Order: sequence, then structure tokens, then C-alpha cells
Amino acid sequence: MEPLVRLDRIGLTLPSQAGDVEILKGISMDVAPGESVAIVGPSGSGKSSLLMVLGGLERATGGTVSVLGQDLTEADEDALAALRRGRVGVVFQSFHLIPTMTAIENIQVPLEIAGHDDPVARASEMLAAVGLADRARHYPAQLSGGEQQRVALARALAPGPELLLADEPTGNLDGETGTQVTELMFDLARQFGATLILVTHSDVLAQRCGRVVRMSDGRIAA
Amino acid sequence: MTEIAPDAPAAAGSIASSQDSRGFNALRFAWAAALRELRGGLAGFRVFLACLILGVGGIAAVGSVTTAIERGLAAEGQSILGGDAALTFSYRFASDDERAWMAERGKVVEMVSMRSLLRKDEERALAEVKGVSAGYPLYGEALIAGGGDLLETLRPVDGVHGIVTERVLAQRLDLQPGDDVKVGGGTFVFRGVIEQEPDRASGGFAMGPRVLTSVEGLREAGMLQAGVLFEAGYRLKLPETGDLDAIEAEFEQAFPEAGARWRDRRNAAPGINRFVDRLGAFLTIVGIAALAVGGVGIGAAVRGYLTRKVPTIAALRTLGATAGTVFSIYLIQIGMIAALGIAIGVSVGGGVVALLGPVFAKDLPVPAEFTLYPAPLAEAALFGALAAMLFTLWPLAWLRRVKPAQLFRNAVDPQQIWPGWQIVLALVLLAAALAGAIIGLSTTPKLAAWCLGGIAGAFVILRLLGWMCARVARTLSHSSLAQRRPGLRLALGAIGAPSAGTPGVVLALGLGLGVLAAIAQIDHNMQKLLKDQLPEDAPAFFFVDIQSAQLDPFRAQVMGVDGTERLETAPMLRGIVTELNGVPAKEATIDPAGAWVLRGDRGVSYSATVPTGVAITEGAWWAEDYSGPPLVSIAEEEGRELGLSIGGSVTVNILGRPITAEVANFRKVEWRGMGINFLMILSPGALAGAPHTHIATLYADQDAEAPVMRTVSRNMPNVTPVLVREQIDTVSESLGKLGTATRWGALAVLLTGLAVLIGTAAAGEERRTSEAAILKVLGASRRAILASFALRAALTGAIAGVVALFWGSLSAWSVMNYVFDTPFTLPLGSTVAIILGGAALSLLAGLGFALGPLRRKPARVLRTAAG
Repeated sequence: MEPLVRLDRIGLTLPSQAGDVEILKGISMDVAPGESVAIVGPSGSGKSSLLMVLGGLERATGGTVSVLGQDLTEADEDALAALRRGRVGVVFQSFHLIPTMTAIENIQVPLEIAGHDDPVARASEMLAAVGLADRARHYPAQLSGGEQQRVALARALAPGPELLLADEPTGNLDGETGTQVTELMFDLARQFGATLILVTHSDVLAQRCGRVVRMSDGRIAA
Repeated sequence: MTEIAPDAPAAAGSIASSQDSRGFNALRFAWAAALRELRGGLAGFRVFLACLILGVGGIAAVGSVTTAIERGLAAEGQSILGGDAALTFSYRFASDDERAWMAERGKVVEMVSMRSLLRKDEERALAEVKGVSAGYPLYGEALIAGGGDLLETLRPVDGVHGIVTERVLAQRLDLQPGDDVKVGGGTFVFRGVIEQEPDRASGGFAMGPRVLTSVEGLREAGMLQAGVLFEAGYRLKLPETGDLDAIEAEFEQAFPEAGARWRDRRNAAPGINRFVDRLGAFLTIVGIAALAVGGVGIGAAVRGYLTRKVPTIAALRTLGATAGTVFSIYLIQIGMIAALGIAIGVSVGGGVVALLGPVFAKDLPVPAEFTLYPAPLAEAALFGALAAMLFTLWPLAWLRRVKPAQLFRNAVDPQQIWPGWQIVLALVLLAAALAGAIIGLSTTPKLAAWCLGGIAGAFVILRLLGWMCARVARTLSHSSLAQRRPGLRLALGAIGAPSAGTPGVVLALGLGLGVLAAIAQIDHNMQKLLKDQLPEDAPAFFFVDIQSAQLDPFRAQVMGVDGTERLETAPMLRGIVTELNGVPAKEATIDPAGAWVLRGDRGVSYSATVPTGVAITEGAWWAEDYSGPPLVSIAEEEGRELGLSIGGSVTVNILGRPITAEVANFRKVEWRGMGINFLMILSPGALAGAPHTHIATLYADQDAEAPVMRTVSRNMPNVTPVLVREQIDTVSESLGKLGTATRWGALAVLLTGLAVLIGTAAAGEERRTSEAAILKVLGASRRAILASFALRAALTGAIAGVVALFWGSLSAWSVMNYVFDTPFTLPLGSTVAIILGGAALSLLAGLGFALGPLRRKPARVLRTAAG
């Protein structure tokens, strides 16, 4: 079976005030459809950067990146956005909801961008699936951290993506809330048949995944 | 390891002194902390500084120009007036006694002013004719093109007197030196072009270009007969030590019924003074409006700055600084930056005028002394300081009320916290101080008060409208309109977000556009009134100086021309109102609106019967054969303003003879119709024997104008025809120039509004960057994101444009309806231009700050935001 994700000796070098910094160094990795992969490692090991490259949010400066059968290496911004449209969902540590839209409207946005037939109904379903049907008209500022992350999760999964990327999804949540969100994330990913790649500091969370990839100093540790 | 001993406990007696030193230390600490923070630069204060500099600089510039002109007029008073004092008589020359009195006090020059037609062959032009006598000018220099002495140039050669004219008249009639020209009934020879007439500015409104000749020449041409409409002026050169007020009082005592007007070098050109005063006062108010608009930007800048400083403030509070200390730190900072802005503003405003003024001085029609004047700069600085305090105190007050816990939760919005009654009281006092300073320092306090009220009202209305629009946008963002349109929903949501600053932008941009809209609409309606409405009702011609014996032949000749419709005539004299109800006019209590009646001489007529088309509103007309004591019919509005009633009395000095008439009736007068209208019409016997001429108005087709002009000028050269259409064009042109000048002033308000708009757009850049990143994550293309940002900016600007149109049109309608009493029409062109202009400006500003967010990589943005 063709891998959903194929990375072939990718590198990522970013400019900084102190000069160029090599974040990723020759990473190669395949992820099969339906897999759940945890990327773990110490701070500064390049985990989040690797996730950004996988989502087309960061362009690799070396090697080749293939996601969902598309080569992202030379793709421009709009092509990358088009790839993500309905096919890749991303959940961030800081939620990143749009503050001027209500919970249900935040979920509607990717559906509308992807041209879904009935974004309102679908968004309502997703909101109910994350247990927040009664908070549809609330703004992010009126929700707790856990509730915001649940809305973010619903937004990421609403279009039924093939790939779900999560960058420290419980990083800003307390233990109990984080567990609830984690359960929801794995549950929904399984329901939607999405391939899950998540970045985490938590070994407990990592063990929930089918495969754990350890990173250190920009490389996959042996 | 070295042990460190703990501090010794404070001695009991030192607690009080430490409390005192804590107060002193807190202030010193606040200064030190404020200066340390300012080391970081002024990057967050660009809009703050721009708004303050524009407002203060504008006021400083206007004040400097006004002062320069006033100083110039005062310094050149003698030249402008043509003497130290001037006595002017209507219709007559000074008597021998009056001449002797003047000659005893100094050197005297006699002059005559009148209007007449200048003719060369078949070409004609209306001119302001001035005859001068030996000794002219007493001050300044009269210059002829090509050199030569004026009086020598005018000297008669072979019995023919010379004339010189303004260049424009010479060009219009193609006059060459030596050409014979006719003025009135006389023949003169053209000898040259006037380069400089030192006392031109004191002459007031001119209906035509200037012609200079000698008094003798006019007399020999038969143009100064009894009853002809002319003014005889006498300029006196007095000893330097002369007390002008005392000399004036002496003349009034010696000749109480002379009916002469007195002016002296201290007020040589009162008309120009009044005009410069009013224009300067109006433009200062416009500058204050710009400052007020800038205040919105100032307040927003301070709020934004303090919001960014939350972590610092939290740290200070943690380390023991009181709320008062923190307030002092930022008050000092803001104060220093405001002082910088004010200093730059007055330097730029005053400096530009001082440097560029002399370059343009020669093109000004009035003298001006351009230099740095401290008074207007101090005034501008005062207004700037008060305005800066007014708009910064509310956001600063938040520092005293915010709780530390709120700071650490980062759950703060300076706008949402009530500042406390102390601050509200301080704001009220500051507003009162600013209003008091503006009105107190204005040369037209009533106008200033009205304008301030208008600005304050506009502020409230525009702010309210902006808030309402933001609420509507917010509601619409959740409506079915925005379904399936994430770009529109995002745009509407952003407009409606409390932190978007939409009410501020609508206020700032709306006020600037609104002022422009109001001025443009008033200008449009005034031009319409002058060009369309007035000419429909106005006569084609006015004729003056028709002798009584010429009336019938005049009527026959004029009405004999094809295209003439109607001719109206009336006897005309001019007189000065000297008493009202037995009280000297200068001492009478009148409505200021009627003051113009007492300034200078007014047209007076007589009639046995009610003139055609006149409506009596109170009282009754006298019998046709009435021969009792003088009675007078007065224009109703002016009569009431002068405090007159039926049975009251008016004394008018005509040709040196005071005539006291009892008010018999009031009549309705429509001045705008431009027909023959008189303020006062006397019963016939009142002016028995007084030499006078007649005036006439002719209603005719435009095609009949040239034949009528030829007929009258050929057969009755003493009659002066005034083509009304040309005069309307002249006034229209002057109004147009005035409109242009005031538009420039309005641009200052708009510029400040733009600064606020740019500031708001810049302040929202961070949010737009975050939104762009999130939308890219969700699959939106850059074009779609840019379209959403553009829509947001254009909508905000269009809202401001619509709001501007609303209040600008309301203002213009009020002016046209209540001040000019004339119908108002909304010009479609400027309507569309205002709305589109608002949208375009906002779009440009918004797009300028949208491209950056679009270019940033989403990963960097989202990672940075995660912290």
C-alpha cells in the first residue's frame, strides 16, 4: 500500500538573528494510512517543525515531502492550502480559534472553504460529537481551554480529513481535561478513519499510538 | 560560604519620615521608570504624534497667517487708508467750514469714488472710478507701469485729462497710451497702467477694475452733479502726536450733522479685517476639529500602548508599586511624548508660515508681515495640551482601577473599565477648560461657541452611529447573509468586534469626510443659487445715476430694444442712520444681526404710493397726497433687529441734513430677488428739494443685453449700467475661491482622520496575521484571504462615508435653510464621491497592512502565538 506520508531525507534550515539554524537534518519516514504515530523528544528537537512540514505549513529546505500522494517540495502557498482543504486537519496547542466567530461558525469555516453541501448541519453534528451542542453560539473567549480545544478538534475533523495532525493538543490543558480531549481525539480519529500524527511530551499519550518516533537534535533517534 | 546579615529593623521614630520619603521617592521612581521605558523608542506612538502634530501644526499655521495679515494691515495702516484719518461724505463735497477745519489739523487730499462705464469705440466695461487731487498719495507710492509720476500723468493736455487703469481693463478694451476713452459723459486720454495703488485695499468690494483720474477731470466731465451717486473722501495727514480719538470727537462736536464717516489708520480696511478675522476664526475651528479627530487616534494609541504594557504593569504591581505610582509612570511618559508632539507641531506650523510666507507675500492682495509670532503658537500649544490631556486621561485612568489578578489573567481591556468619578470630573473640567480657551481666545466667540457645539454634537452622533454600525455588522455576521461566505462573515465579525475600533474609525474618518461633504454641498448649493436660481429671478441690468429729466426718454429707448420685458425705476439717495428712537445709533441697543445697517450709508428712496408687489406686514402706507411730517416704511426684519416699532423714529443724515421720520409701517423685503429694494422708503415731502438721481432695473433676454448697453451708453453716457450676470459671476468666483480655501482647511481634518485610520489598521495587523495563518491552515487561498481583508476595509470605509454623508448633508441643509433661507439639493456627484472616497481610503489603508500578514508563513505565526 502506498504510504500516506513519505519523507525522504528532508531538512529544514531557518534564518535567525544569530544566523541560520538547522532544525531538521535528513529525516526519512513513512506513515501508512490509518496509522497513529506519536513524535516525541525533548524541547528543541524539531518535533513541531516536522509536523508543520507534514501539514505544508512549513516548506522543507532539503529532501522531498509527499503527503496524500502529492509532492509538497515545490508546491506554492495556494497549492498547499488546497491540499489541506478538507483532507488535512490540524489541532494546535493554543487552539487558534477565530475570536470573532462563535463555536459553530469556527467549525463551519473549513466546510465552507471546502464547498460542503450543508456546513451548518455538519458543524452542528461535530459540535454535538464533542459534547458542546449547547455552546454553539458562544465565542472562544466564553469557553474554557478544554472547550476551546474540543471546538478546535471538531473544526479539524469536520471535513472528514484523511490526515489529522496534532501539535501538543493537551499542552495548555490540565490533566483531567487533557485526558478527556485525548480520548475524544483518538475516538473521533478512529471513527473517521483518519491517520493520526501527533507531537507530544507525554509518554502516556505517546503509548496510545501505534508507533512512536523519537527525535533528538533534528534527527530521528535510532 | 559568606553569610549575609539580615537588614537591621527600622528605628521606631523613622517610620514617619520613611512614609514622607516614600511619597517623594515614588515620584522620583516614576520619573526614572518613565524615562527607562522611553529608551525603547517611540515606535508605538507614531499615530499619537502624527495626530497631535497635524492638529497643533494646523492651528499654529492658521494663527500665524492671520496674525501676519493683521500686523501687516496695522503696520501699513497709513498707506492702506491713504492717510492718518479719513472722512467720507456721500453725494457731496465737504463744505468750506469742514475743509477749513481739516486744513487746520494737517495736510488734506481730496478724492472722489464712483462707478461708471468706460468706453473705447464700441467696447465697454464697468469700472470703479477714482478721482484724486494734488498731494495724493499722502502715504505710500502710486506707481505707473513704465515709471512716471501719477499726478503728472493725469495732468490735462490740450484740455483733455488723463486716466490710468488696472492692467486687466486695459487688456480687455485693448487700450494703448494716447487712446481716447469716454468715462461717463466725459472724454479722457488713456495714459498707462496702474502698477500700485497704495490705498486700494481700503476701498472695499469692487464691481469693476480701477480707473484713476483727477477730481477736476471728473468735475469737468459733468460727472459730479448734485444727486449723482459718488463719495467724496478726504485723507488727512496728522501730526504724529495727534490723538485720533480726540480728533474724531472734535469733528463730531464741530459738525454733528455732517453725516460723514470717520476712519483712521488703526482700522484702515475694516472690511478686510473682518473678513480675515472670520476666515481665521473659522479655520482655527476647523483646526480644532482636526485636533478633536486626532484625539480619537491619541486615545486609541494610548489604549493600545497600555494593553501591550500589561506584562510590565503586572510586574511593577507584583514588585510593590501602587496603582498611583504606575499611573504616574505612564502619565509622565504620555506627557513627555505629548510635549514633543506639541513642540514639533508649533515648530512646523509656525516655521512653515514664517519661511514660506515671504515667498508668497507679494501675491497676496493684502499686506502681511511674516515672521514667528509667539501668541498664536502659544495658543496652539495650549489647545494641543488640553486636547491631549482630555483624550489620554480616560485610558490612563484604567491603571488606577485595574486589579492585579486581571493583569495576570491578561483579561483586561482599558475601554471596559469605569475610570471613576474623580477622573470623570477631571475630564469634564478639562473639556470645559478647552472650550473656554477656544471661545475666550477667539475673535468671534459666538461663532466659535456654535462651531464647538456642532463638533461636540457631531462627535456624539458619529460615535453612536459607529457603535450602531459595529453592532449591526456583528449581528449580520451571524445571519444567513454570511452563511457559506466565510470571507464575508470574517469581515463583518471583524468590523463588529469590540477591539476592532470601528466606532473610532467611523468617527475620525466620518468627521473628516463629513466636513468636506458639508463644505462641498454648501458650495454646490451656493453656486446653484447664484448661477441658476438667482438669474431666473434677477434683472438683467441695474442702472444708476439716471437724472429725473432723463426718466421718460430712458424708458422709451430701453423698452424699444427687442427682448426687453420690464423696467422698474425708483428715486435713490444715500444716507447714514444716525439715531434710533432718539438715541444715537452708536449707543442704541440692537440685535447684532442688524449691525450692518448702521455701518456706512444705506440706500433711501421715497414714494407716494405702495411700490408694486410690496407686502405691508404691519402699519399702513401714507395717503398719496400726504404732506405732513416725514414718515418712513422700513424693511420688517431689519427694523425689528434695530429695535424699531410702529410709531418709533429713525434719523437719517442725507447730504448733511438730518431727517427724522416716524415709522409708519413695516414691509416684507426679499433681498435675494435682486429687484429694487430699499431698507427705508420715506414719504415724498421728507426729501423735498434734495438733489438725487434714479435707479432702474431692467428684465430682459440675454440677447438684448448688448443692444441695451450700446443704446444707453451712446445716448445717455452719464447713466451707468451694471450687468447683473457679470456681477453674479464675480461673486460666484469669489465664493468659489473661498470654498477652495475652506476645503483646504477641511483637508486638515481629513488628514487627521486618515492618521487615525492608518493607526487602527496598523493596530489590527497582529490579529490579521493570526487570522490569515489560521485560514491558510483551514485551506483558504491567499486571494480569498486578501479579499476578506479588503472587504472588511472597504465596508468600514463605506460605513464611514455613509455616516459622513448623513451628518455632512444635515449640516449643509441646516446652513442653507437657517442661514441662507434657501432650498437645499443633494448633489449626486459628491454624494457618491464621499461614500466611494471613504471606502477607497479605508481600502488603501487596510490593504497596506494586509499584505504583510499574508506573506508570513503560517507555521511561524502560529508557533509565535503559542509562546
